[in-house]
Parts: sequence; structure tokens; C-alpha cells
Amino acid sequence: MASASVAFVREHLRARLTLALLVLIPALFVIASAAVLGEFASALGGAVAGSSASALGAGWAAAFLAGALGFFQVSSSRDADRRLALAGLGPTRVAAARIGASAALAMVVSAAAFITLELSEPPLHPAHAAAAIAAFALIYVGLGALIGSFVSGPLEGSLTVALIFLVDIFSGPGMTDSGGVAALLPTRGVAELLIAAGAGEGSPTGDWLVVLATVIGSLSIAFGAFWWAARPRTG
Amino acid sequence: MSGRVLTATRLGFIEQSRRPLLLVLLVTIPFIFITWSFWVTEEIPRIVTLPGGQLIPTTMRDIHGAVMVPITVAFLSGLVGMFVVRSALESDRRLVIAGFSPGEAMAPRLAVMGVMTLVVLAVSVAVTAIDFQPESWSAFGVGNLLAGLTYALIGALAGATMGELGGAYLMFFLPMVDFGIAQNPMFFDGRPPEWAMALPGWGSTRVIVDGAFSANFEATAGLLAAIAWGVVLALGVVLLLRRAVAPRH
Repeated sequence: MASASVAFVREHLRARLTLALLVLIPALFVIASAAVLGEFASALGGAVAGSSASALGAGWAAAFLAGALGFFQVSSSRDADRRLALAGLGPTRVAAARIGASAALAMVVSAAAFITLELSEPPLHPAHAAAAIAAFALIYVGLGALIGSFVSGPLEGSLTVALIFLVDIFSGPGMTDSGGVAALLPTRGVAELLIAAGAGEGSPTGDWLVVLATVIGSLSIAFGAFWWAARPRTG
Repeated sequence: MSGRVLTATRLGFIEQSRRPLLLVLLVTIPFIFITWSFWVTEEIPRIVTLPGGQLIPTTMRDIHGAVMVPITVAFLSGLVGMFVVRSALESDRRLVIAGFSPGEAMAPRLAVMGVMTLVVLAVSVAVTAIDFQPESWSAFGVGNLLAGLTYALIGALAGATMGELGGAYLMFFLPMVDFGIAQNPMFFDGRPPEWAMALPGWGSTRVIVDGAFSANFEATAGLLAAIAWGVVLALGVVLLLRRAVAPRH
């Protein structure tokens, strides 16, 4: 199964440019947004600024790339995964290998975002910031995979991931914080942890457990989406 | 235009019309992005520097709403350009082997890309009109058209040269950084920093900002820069696609 995960990672990184973009885009986004995110939040009535705003930007960068990754992992490999499952690997092991590959790539993106953050505007609580950025990315792997199980077209899927991402970040903590349905968004907790970590405040264990449960739930959804895509068809 | 090119173009549009979710997204995303920008942004006073040097007092809310139009148009047009070109490359190669010239094979794709850009532009401008009246609709519209076409062409280049994951990353990131950060008068001192002039959205945004906040057109340099970007990118797309659809020996 581990070898299948490695093969899936290599499949996505066959194009060297994709690997370069996986590292460069979060880095450039963190640098570009660091100077303006505080001002933007203030225009939306939010209060996030300084290191907290930069930390939030790093989480966003990792999240969007991981969401697109989760989507394309499901949508572009549906037929191949079904054949792999029929050839003897089985849908459960195919799904587990996809989860392994997605998580590994999400960690690459998160590491790029975190290292850039450390170099440009270091968060005052770096360990918490690194964990929260990784959690942001893993939650979006699940969201992307879920979208991929319902939407097959790459253009429609990319647009759906982007739509959900933008609604999520603009209505989240530090921005409009628009209560109501926005309070139920899955990244609310992790965004609060990231803002606190940027400002040097540790967060209580209970908050981390909620985020851990969200990550596990999201990866479970991704597992289900991968399994569904690889399952054998009858008739 | 020959009959077979017209037929290929018609079939290209029929193919897109069979994707109802895409059409729904192309209409709802501008509505959500632009309307929401007006709703959630505070009316904080802000000075904008126009291309002619004039300082105009306005609000963050109006700037955000106006700038959200090129962000949305460029983002959607870029992804459309990328996936329309990418999805058609294989079938276009077969058309060329079957006797189409590379130009005849490419023209229907570019027509679909152009019309979808116009649809996105029309929806975005119509949605903007609900909350904001630019001082000059013509300059505002032309600037956004140039922004959309520029990014549709960049998307087409990405579609012909990159994988779908890398291309999708690029076409999300580039418009966001270009229009959303670098050219955005909400930030810096109300005008783009010098490094922003190197980006493809500089010229079109100067035209948009001028049209949004002034009835007197003074963004000639921006207009020329945007047209130059369009011409260079169009040449690049034609050259690259001719090579991409040529038979392989």
C-alpha cells in the first residue's frame, strides 16, 4: 500500500512544474498577502493583523492547494483506480493509498507555507502555527475529495473548490466572522487556532481536540470518496 | 469562414451547453463574489490615485466592489481558457490529421473561450450595477473586457503547456495576486507599487479604476499596455497551439 501511495505521489509530480508550483505558490502567496491582509481584514470589519494575519494567509494558501489536490486525486484517477481495484488491490487499499498520497502532498504544501511564514513574519507560537496550517490543508483534502465524488468535470470542480474556499475564508474568524451558517464551517476552529498562534497565544487542549476531530472526519470523508470512486461496478 | 469551421464552432458551443453545472457556476460565482464584496466591506473613507494623478475620495466598499469585477472575470476566464484548450487538444490533433488546417482546428476553441469570457463579463458587470455605478461605464467595461481576455489567453497558454493540477493552481493564484493584491487600490497608498507594472493586469486595472471613479478618461498608458499584453499573448497562443495540434512524426 505504501508503494501505491508513493506511485500516486509520483503520478502527480511527473510534471516538474507542478512540483515547483506546489512549493512556490504557497510561498509567494504568503509573501504577497503579508503586507495587505491586515488592511483587508479591517475593511471587512475584522480585527486580525500583523503576525496573525500572515499566519492566516499561510493557512489559506495551504488549504486551497490541498483542496484542488483532493479534487483532482478523485476526478482524474477514477477510471485508473477502478482498474487497480479490479486488478487485485481492492477499493479499500486503493483509497488508503490515495489518502496517504494526498496527505503527503498536503504536508509538502503546508511545509512550504510554514517555512515562508517563518522567514517572512515568524508566528509567535511556531509549533501551534505549523500544526494548524497542516490541519487546514488536511481538512481541505477532504473537502476537495468530496467535491470530486460529485463533480466530474475538471473546470466545474475547480470552480466549486474555489467558490467554497472563498466563502469559507471571507466569512471566517478575523474577516467578516459572519456568524449563522458561517459558524458551522469546518475551518472555523483551525482558523482561530492559527490566529492565536500567530499572536503567540497557545490554545486550550479542548480546541485542539475539536480540530483533530474535524481533520479525522474530513480524511474519513476523503477515504469514502476515494473508495466510492474505486469501487467495483455491477451490471 | 468555411462551413466546416462553422460546424466545429457550433459543436463546440453545443458541447459546453451540455454542462449545466458549468453554466450555473459561471453565473452564480460572479453574483456571489461581487455582491458579497459590496455587502461585507465597511464604508471606510479611502483616497484613490487615478491614472492622471488626481486624488479621489471614495470608500473601501466601492473600491472592493469595483476591483472584485476584474478579479472574478480574470479568474473565471483564465480557468475557462485553460480547460477549454486543454480538453480539446487531442481532438484538434485528430482534426488536423483529418484535413483541417491548424488555424481551422483552433478557431472554434478560441471562439468558445471568447464567448464564455463575454458571458462572464456581462454577468459580472450586470451584478456590479446593482450596488455601484462607475463614472464611465465604457472605460469600466473595456478595462474588464481586456482583463478577461488577457487571462483567458494566459489560461489557454497554461492549458497547452501544463497539467490540469498545475494549471489550476496557476490560474487561481495569478489573478488573485495580480488584481486582488498588486493592482488593488485598497492597499498600499491607493495606487499600485512599481513592481505591479510588470504584471499583466496593470494596464486593464488602470483603465478600470479610471472608469470607476472618473468621467474623464486619462488611462491611455494603461489601455495601451493592456492591448499590448493582449496582442503578445494572442500571438503566443496561436504559435503554441499551432505546434500543439500539428501531427507528430
